[in-house]
Amino acid sequence: MDIEVTDYKGIKVITVKGDIDMYSSPALREELIGHSSMKVSVLLVDFNKVTYIDSSGIATFVEALKHMKTYGGRLRLFGLPVGVKEIFSFSKLDKVFEIFVDIEDAV
Amino acid sequence: MKDLIMITVPAAPKYLCLIRDVTVRLCVSGGLEEPVISTLKLAIDEACANIIKHAYKGDTGKKIRVQYRITKEAFEAVIEDSGKKVAPELLRGRDLDDVRPGGLGIHFIKRAFDVVAYDEKKKKGNRLKLIKYLKEE
Repeated sequence: MDIEVTDYKGIKVITVKGDIDMYSSPALREELIGHSSMKVSVLLVDFNKVTYIDSSGIATFVEALKHMKTYGGRLRLFGLPVGVKEIFSFSKLDKVFEIFVDIEDAV
Repeated sequence: MKDLIMITVPAAPKYLCLIRDVTVRLCVSGGLEEPVISTLKLAIDEACANIIKHAYKGDTGKKIRVQYRITKEAFEAVIEDSGKKVAPELLRGRDLDDVRPGGLGIHFIKRAFDVVAYDEKKKKGNRLKLIKYLKEE
């Protein structure tokens, strides 16, 4: 898994590439919690190049979401491939997360 | 394909991708298709991750063994470890409406497989038997 952080219209975008699993999710957690610790108001996550996510990856996003909610921050996910989106929806988390089709929708 | 295939890996998160790759390749060679392949891959990955987390508690010196058999009737996987006996509540998972980190893995396993059963006769460690029945087209 690779993580890239960029700015889009003044908003932080975390682009994740590859498999999010028990091995890679600690690095992702560090990145997400690092940004939410700085109390960013909106954090976007680009899923377009995510090839796989397991329960540890899902747990990482749930933790980050809860962390951001403590100060009113917004975690927005976009570009979820069909298989990844299905995992969020099976877990009933598609109702909990703000999920968008693309970056323009998400900003 | 009726061959028995076995893979043994150290119980470390970095090797889970190997188990996923082998699972997918065996599914493909057994004639399975998406989205079934993805659900089986995720379920076996989750079962192995549970071993690392709960049975071995992160001891990467231990091993995980996955044994596969694919026939026209079923996809079977038997996953073994020599760690701590699994607690029965691990087979329940959390309520999906209770949004919090963790507790999802068993749901992914149960939705993928028709049979999810621990072999209670195994004296040391755990032996998890997973069966997905394949319907004839």
